[in-house]
Amino acid sequence: MFVQVCLYFYCKCLWRCLKFVVRKLTGRCELQRICYNIKPGASRTMKIETSLRGSKNKLLQTSVSVHPDAIEKTIDDIMELKKINPDINPQLGVSLQACLLQIVGYRNLVAEVEKLRREPYDSENPQHEEMLLKLWKCLKPDCPLEARISKQWCEIGFQGDDPKTDFRGMGLLGLYNLLYFAERDAAVAQQVLSDSLQPKYSYSFAIVGINITDLAYNLLVSGALKTHFYNVAPEAPTLSHFQQTFCYLMHEFHKFWIEEDPLDIMEFNRVREKFHKRILKQLQNPDMALCPHFAASESLINM
Amino acid sequence: MGLLSILRKLKSAPDQEVRILLLGLDNAGKTTLLKQLASEDISHITPTQGFNIKSVQSQGFKLNVWDIGGQRKIRPYWRNYFENTDVLIYVIDSADRKRFEETGQELAELLDEEKLSGVTVLILLTSKNLLTLPLLRRLLRGLNLHTIRDRIWQIQSCSALTGEGVQDGMNWVCKNVNAKKK
Repeated sequence: MFVQVCLYFYCKCLWRCLKFVVRKLTGRCELQRICYNIKPGASRTMKIETSLRGSKNKLLQTSVSVHPDAIEKTIDDIMELKKINPDINPQLGVSLQACLLQIVGYRNLVAEVEKLRREPYDSENPQHEEMLLKLWKCLKPDCPLEARISKQWCEIGFQGDDPKTDFRGMGLLGLYNLLYFAERDAAVAQQVLSDSLQPKYSYSFAIVGINITDLAYNLLVSGALKTHFYNVAPEAPTLSHFQQTFCYLMHEFHKFWIEEDPLDIMEFNRVREKFHKRILKQLQNPDMALCPHFAASESLINM
Repeated sequence: MGLLSILRKLKSAPDQEVRILLLGLDNAGKTTLLKQLASEDISHITPTQGFNIKSVQSQGFKLNVWDIGGQRKIRPYWRNYFENTDVLIYVIDSADRKRFEETGQELAELLDEEKLSGVTVLILLTSKNLLTLPLLRRLLRGLNLHTIRDRIWQIQSCSALTGEGVQDGMNWVCKNVNAKKK
């Protein structure tokens, strides 16, 4: 333990010395070197984030948690602190700003998603009810719902005759995600739903959607989704980026489930765990992006 | 804890394994209970597809707790998990009055199962707050429990959110498993 601590401090001091020497030799600070040497996207933004977080300067340390509106001012302050002339290095400010927008945006997205998750589904709230009925319409356009409390809900994979108890720990987030999938990626959603009703691969569509919401939520909160968002969101990642990721995960999970050829639904948690590990492994690749087919064309980075 | 009990603990044989089956309707609170037993966070629970399993150490026992989904579609699979069960914990949400008959029926069917004959049963009534005695009596009348004669059984009221009452239930389980296994 003691040796480890010594090693840690030694590395830290050595790293600082090395940074100092390189800075003197190249005339560029670490932020500049990262922006010049690494292509935009997750690899660059994550390096910038680590550098800012690890800095001993208060301004740099707190810059990862500033309000989005204060980012421009923060960039100016950083340029001044690092004595970089913005007229000679115009690109640096732009690159740094893009990185910072992503970093700050991710933090805010986590907060936004958490707020939705914490809001329980409330059947007294007309807005919630409206969304639920819309979900039915999107998934079953040709088949009207006969009553609000009805066995029909089981046809789209809820557990009983009233879906309100099924959202549980995922709250409104589960409904938001399911509705986004059913509305924006209707063809795939309906295909997945109809496949899920086949006896051979049978699972409950809506319940699995709520479980996959939990998976997406965990990926987001643990920071694993940074790779993806820093690659696809040109500026701050938004809720719709998260929802698109959910659509992707639903579709991929469905394919994975069929590939795994499970005996019955009792294998669900085993397959889910395996799927989770696979996604985590994919996200370790800094060039990875989890784009659903319908978003792929609009989410390419251009910086 | 005294020195003697520490010594006794060190000396005691490896933990005896107990297989516990958690059943009940969907949304009764089975997974919440499982997470409470394992002292895990209960704020991210999702409906169970399939089953969850956790091993918990308690009073010299290794409790292997199987939590099987309660959705109607999954109930036919319950029977695959009956084998070698030591204790059945049947969870009922006391706020779900509309389905009291349904849950009573499921319980009656379970008690009739040959593979579960003689298995100790703990019926856990979950609710927001602990139930008062008169209310508990009224709820139980609907379940026809007085007909159970061939096994040890017990009813325990518990709060799903604070976990109050859960430990009492588990103490009862451990005590009765002990009596049976010796």
